[in-house]
Amino acid sequence: MVFPAKYPSLNAMEMTEEARQTLIRVVRVAFPHECVPDGPYERTADKILTEAQNETWFRVALTQGLLSLNQLAGGDFQDLDDEAALRVLRRVEGTEFFGFVRRTTVLNLYDDDEVWAALGYEGASFDQGGYINRGFNDLDWLPDPRIDYPEGEQLPEIAPGALDVPSPAVESGGGEDSTNQPGATSSDMEEVKK
Amino acid sequence: MTASVTGCSIDQDEEAIVIIGSGAGGGTLAHELTSKGIPVVVLEAGPYLAHDDYVNNEWESFNQMAWLDPRTTSGSWRIARDFPNLPAWLVKAVGGTTTHWSGATPRFKAHEFKTRSVYGRVEGANLLDWPIGIEDLAPYYDRAEKAMGSTHVHGRPPLPANNNYKVFANGAEKVGYKFYATGPYATNAEEYDGRPASIQDGFNFQGDKNKSKWSILVREMPRAEKTGLLDLRPRSQAVQVTHDAEGRADAVLYLDKDGNLHRQAAKLVCLAGNSIETPRLLLLSGTPRFPDGLANSSGQVGRNYMRHLTGTVWGYFDKPVRMYRGETMAGVISDESTHDPDRGFAGGYYMETISLGPAFMAAFVEPGAWGPDFTSLLDSYTNSAGMWIVGEDMPQETNRVTLNTNAKDENGLPVPNVHYDDHPNDIAMREHAYAAGEKVYQAVGAQGTHRTAPYPSTHNLGTARMSERPEDGVVDKWGRTHDVPNLFISDGSVFTTGAAANPTLTIVALAIRQAEYIADQLKTQQI
Repeated sequence: MVFPAKYPSLNAMEMTEEARQTLIRVVRVAFPHECVPDGPYERTADKILTEAQNETWFRVALTQGLLSLNQLAGGDFQDLDDEAALRVLRRVEGTEFFGFVRRTTVLNLYDDDEVWAALGYEGASFDQGGYINRGFNDLDWLPDPRIDYPEGEQLPEIAPGALDVPSPAVESGGGEDSTNQPGATSSDMEEVKK
Repeated sequence: MTASVTGCSIDQDEEAIVIIGSGAGGGTLAHELTSKGIPVVVLEAGPYLAHDDYVNNEWESFNQMAWLDPRTTSGSWRIARDFPNLPAWLVKAVGGTTTHWSGATPRFKAHEFKTRSVYGRVEGANLLDWPIGIEDLAPYYDRAEKAMGSTHVHGRPPLPANNNYKVFANGAEKVGYKFYATGPYATNAEEYDGRPASIQDGFNFQGDKNKSKWSILVREMPRAEKTGLLDLRPRSQAVQVTHDAEGRADAVLYLDKDGNLHRQAAKLVCLAGNSIETPRLLLLSGTPRFPDGLANSSGQVGRNYMRHLTGTVWGYFDKPVRMYRGETMAGVISDESTHDPDRGFAGGYYMETISLGPAFMAAFVEPGAWGPDFTSLLDSYTNSAGMWIVGEDMPQETNRVTLNTNAKDENGLPVPNVHYDDHPNDIAMREHAYAAGEKVYQAVGAQGTHRTAPYPSTHNLGTARMSERPEDGVVDKWGRTHDVPNLFISDGSVFTTGAAANPTLTIVALAIRQAEYIADQLKTQQI
């Protein structure tokens, strides 16, 4: 890969299209969803590039990271198949570069209408009257359960027998004990020797 | 000139009753006091968002509602690694965290006020009996449930079963649980108290645009405002409670939205900033007379921070569930909320339905994860069912909120640091709860399950705890600080121990009770 930045000055950096394509591939390999089309991956990569433009350190990390990927790939990261690409990403997992890509992807890839549709999520609902008439209870592969507690029955608050074993605090009247750092008020255990 | 947004404006030099925070505790207190004819000033750090402002989008809503001021974390909890600057997921707005709460309203059980006596000595746990019992709180639980419209009690009908509940309840039945139902939840199944029935839109955590869910914003604030006695000042961040030569609180210093400092004179101050900001404010208010922070002669301010057990179990099926349709939480299994030490831990836990959209699912299901194992969790989204586990965690002195003087907020104030380590009892209970949750889903044919670690804390408790003796805690049985007679704490910070129950109902019940006490004390001029 040629240097990912178009211009040698890091401060005026704009990533090359090749760098952008590599980044899209990174996001796709790290967060693979067969059901998700290219659009959200491209938008996420562009978001990463925008964030990198705003923060010098991200920019440095991103530049270094993209170069490292090609070095680890022994050529062009984009030429690797999914499995090999995933292996390379596992090797950079602990880097600033990958952490930045991962965090930004988690926050943005899944905040995307197209991804929601692909995963089967319907997004905002209030403006459509909620789900009261649109399937909030349309699950039909299980019987309808009861929604109230069993009549005339009370949950035992303490298991039968739980209080049969006296605890030191109970013996000493509980609150009588030093409460900030309660001690073993009734322990009479001696050292055991054989 | 104050920044009151109501018709009522109280002079800054007038010694007022000042309530800091407008959530479950502060908002309830403001409503109760004004309805008894007592004027109050409410300082709220966040803006006044209305129901129309809420958005059905997880991240957009998060950025609109959440408390995002910098905080730091330490300790062995995963939050310190995954979300180091977001120990808690709370709301910074009028109405506080009631505006995004799920709505579950179980009560404490009788023994949960007496854990030191009932559980005995638990090594490393700072257990203490509450100075009050269920008999003290029962009438206020009734009032709180009626105010909030809790389902299943006082004649309020249960919510209908949504898809997530159908999976949850069928699984519960199959594994032999008996005490499951769609509530109690403070969300209307039918119109009640001027609020409509739920339209099952599924965005509880994003504020409820339909106003079916109880919150301080939908009920207490407008009613308090109508009395003409509420001076509500949003975007007013309290930074110090000051005191006079006698050691009585005499004013609150606060910053307005532009960072200008104001002083509101006070005859009585009630802190309700939730369990991180409340101890922070006490610690920020240290003086030569109160060198370790205001009301901190016990050294317990900020300590015993509790966040409930929590954890999430997801079940993955071969058929659609669509858990996101309908109320986010509308299902409870109570069978494990009992105290049964034979399970290998003290205390109990509830299982409650939960749903996240893909955006939050990706962020929280397995923080830090990526690759095909991670994406397969999201590929199963349509066929996923979810439950949250919420149980009692042990109070520990070393779990605490302190001031981090190495990190400053935008006003130059030290940020709160939240330190948390799980107690062995917490770990044992969480393991049990994860396994129990998995069994529920496996019983109805789950192809797979996944355990999600606790989210940033939504239940924050214990940092100014209630105690009989001044040396054991920060406030007495009325929430009045042991050290400063006209300073009260009115939020979940006062919880001596956390119980298994979601805390909001108890915070509201305590605040109603405290309001009666304060009104009585004012009337008889004992304050």
